Amino acid sequence: MSSQGPFADLGFVAAVARKDLLQELRSRAVTVATLFFSSITLMVLAFAVGRESALMQQAGPGALWVALAFAGVISAAQSYQSDLAEAAYEQLLIYPIPRATIYLGKLIANWLTMLALGLVLLPIGSVLFALPLTPGLPLLVATVALGTLGFALIATFYAALTANLQARESLLPVLMFPVVVPILLAAVRSTDAVTRLGNAALAGDWLQLLAGFDLVYLVVCTAIFHFVVDE
Amino acid sequence: MSEAAIELSGLGRRYGRQYVLREINLEMTAGRLALLGGSNGAGKTTLLRVLATRLRPSRGRGRVFGFDLVTGAHEVRRRVAFLSVFGGSYPTLTAAENLMLAARLYGLRGAEVTGLLATVGLEAVADKLVRTFSSGMKKRLALARLMLADAPLWLLDEPYASLDEDGKALIDRLLIEARGAGRTVLLASHETARCAPLVDALLTLEGGGLRAVPREVERV
Repeated sequence: MSSQGPFADLGFVAAVARKDLLQELRSRAVTVATLFFSSITLMVLAFAVGRESALMQQAGPGALWVALAFAGVISAAQSYQSDLAEAAYEQLLIYPIPRATIYLGKLIANWLTMLALGLVLLPIGSVLFALPLTPGLPLLVATVALGTLGFALIATFYAALTANLQARESLLPVLMFPVVVPILLAAVRSTDAVTRLGNAALAGDWLQLLAGFDLVYLVVCTAIFHFVVDE
Repeated sequence: MSEAAIELSGLGRRYGRQYVLREINLEMTAGRLALLGGSNGAGKTTLLRVLATRLRPSRGRGRVFGFDLVTGAHEVRRRVAFLSVFGGSYPTLTAAENLMLAARLYGLRGAEVTGLLATVGLEAVADKLVRTFSSGMKKRLALARLMLADAPLWLLDEPYASLDEDGKALIDRLLIEARGAGRTVLLASHETARCAPLVDALLTLEGGGLRAVPREVERV
């Protein structure tokens, strides 16, 4: 029997995250679906808003996060689906590792997937909604990083809750969107502050709020994850 | 007196309102092998999943090597290896990757993955994705994971299912080796005639309880 401790726990987190990312790299199930879906969403919304520059810039941040949010739901749900196929999820829950390490591993994989998608969507959104990216690019990247982290924290948690349910596809967004609203609002405001208003101080305030939400959700979700997976 | 590997007292498990296991009493001494029989739906898999801490008992108590199935679940998991009837591997990873992942999650450094794959006859396909495997090959990979765990208690759910004769003989050898290594084994199988000579006791699940036992408490 191996010795275990905090460093071993980090190894478990890394192993779960690596496994999820490797699976996604091989299947590209989430990447293709979310990129296609979110790009179409952005295009439809841009078409609906019209060509008035001020209106486009006003709607752009919201459209960007709507596209990211819907893509995030697909990503989180799929991360458990690939485990359920051959009862690998059951095996994962029988390994002698803390439940929290499974959550954190899946969280990292989901977050990196969403973050990559967010960074790809930024230039697309910039072109479609005439959003200037360069002046506050570091703040914009920080907004995408913290916003997608908050979203991934909630999505990974609720995806585990619904993983074994028959109506999981419909239940997951119903359960998680009310909880994720503060994250989305803060992310939209921060994006708006950077791109349209050019107000770095205001963006900083929203980023602090985002970081606070992320910290609270991280602590709470990690602490109670075992209640979600133990049947 | 020998250590008890499994102690179950009035253990029950229900799905919704329906009890699959009603009143299970069992005491199994460490180092013994037992076959768990019963018709389809009798609760064999449910009992094994409860012992593996995947499911919580709905009533009653259970201990594995002295650790409670609920309050000491993590310690139980360190002592149990579970062979699922479904294999439990990741289709988009290779056989070697699946086994290396298992080694990491068992906290084993430098595990001899190649040797284990050779033992179960999968050395030649170590770098193939599991989604290309037949169900028998997936079962062999699950057996390699079982051996990797080196746990004192093996819970085997239909270990012979999907295997060819060579694979079944491999299971027989593993059971003999498990006895030699002092492991405790509880296996659910319909292959009673094949298993009977290899185990110390035959248990039967019927109507949610352990039947064909001489006393309220079965001593194996």
